[in-house]
Amino acid sequence: MLSEQHQATEAVHCIQCGASNAVNVKFCSNCGYRQEDPAIDETAHNWQLLKQAALFYGVYIVVCALSSFVDYFKTVGWFLVVEIIGAGTAVLFFTYNWNDYKKQLRWPSFSWQKLAAYGSIAMASNLLIHYISSWINIIIFSRDYYYYSIFAGMPGAAYLIIFFTAITPALFEELGFRGYLLQSLLNIADTGQAVFISAFLFGIIHLNFVSLFWLIPFALFLGYVRVKENTIWYGVFFHFCFNLTACLFELL
Amino acid sequence: MENQIPAAVQLTENCAHCNTQAKPEDTFCTQCGYPLKGTEAEQNIFISERQVEEIDMFTYNKTLKQAGTTLYYLAGVFILSGLVYFFMHKDEEDVVAVVITDLIMAAMFLVLGAYSKKKPLACLISGLSLYVIVQLLNAIVDPISIARGIIIKIVIIGYMIKGIKSAMEIEKIRKEKHIA
Repeated sequence: MLSEQHQATEAVHCIQCGASNAVNVKFCSNCGYRQEDPAIDETAHNWQLLKQAALFYGVYIVVCALSSFVDYFKTVGWFLVVEIIGAGTAVLFFTYNWNDYKKQLRWPSFSWQKLAAYGSIAMASNLLIHYISSWINIIIFSRDYYYYSIFAGMPGAAYLIIFFTAITPALFEELGFRGYLLQSLLNIADTGQAVFISAFLFGIIHLNFVSLFWLIPFALFLGYVRVKENTIWYGVFFHFCFNLTACLFELL
Repeated sequence: MENQIPAAVQLTENCAHCNTQAKPEDTFCTQCGYPLKGTEAEQNIFISERQVEEIDMFTYNKTLKQAGTTLYYLAGVFILSGLVYFFMHKDEEDVVAVVITDLIMAAMFLVLGAYSKKKPLACLISGLSLYVIVQLLNAIVDPISIARGIIIKIVIIGYMIKGIKSAMEIEKIRKEKHIA
């Protein structure tokens, strides 16, 4: 009660004419100017953000579709080119909006317990998905099998596979989809819708229908963690543990 | 006529537009921006502007509905093409895989269509992306397929983009009016 009274007596100045108003007014009592400026004229800006996000996603669609469906691109050289384009796109779009997006790179509430918890959830869920998938007899990591075949016979193949299936996707997919895309969508839509859109887009970009049953929940969880913890790093670690478990399954 | 009434008498009343209680010194209503001390012309302009906003809202909702219908239409197309494919290629080995893919697509568009009223932005952006990906994959497998029914494809994409834009405008108007 006391704080309410305090708020009511406190005055703010009109952003247009400078007259003092009560805190909770929506329009200035003196000049009629709308006071909650953040919502105004945002649509044009949001549309811009959405177009930018569409460009980002378009690059990903084209690169993923070409690299997984055109045999010509299935060589080690093209594989590296695709990886670099993917990583570069994520970094480029993130740094283009650097000032608004950089705070997700901080790790304000670092805790070993949380890290361990997310890591074990990741491994457990991967085991679960692995068993469900082998039970219904579906190849879930078709794209990763292709990684294994590409590196087979090369010196240090195991390390290369771990690097390209666990480390780079964890880092750049998180930066691109949870760092850049989700943050843009959060400006446009409410939290629930933004997390859903980013998860759905992340799921279908893998171009594998059967994997959707676990990819979308996986991405929903990552989006939720990113919003809850306000940092991308727990997601990166979760993604890393998840992919590493899958990878070790194949290697061991 | 009401303008002739001395200011001091008028001011103890509530706002004529939104009925919030106004303070004597207020020139504008602090809740809706109605010009309390304005001339009749100013007050009429204010009211007609608000009506225009409502008409806009009506058109936005209409485009949104069209976009939602587009999602249902796509679901129907996938069910139909799945059936046609099944009866044309009954004896082939991969027929089940193709039909199941078609049905999964149809189911996804159905779900997106069903939720497009509640969560328009999420459903329309997801639906549009899914549609574009399917078209791109078709084009990679069979380049000529992109030209097939190109006008319908452009219309579908146009409807969905217009729907997304309307959803954003509606969101903005809602934010302004604070109807959560």
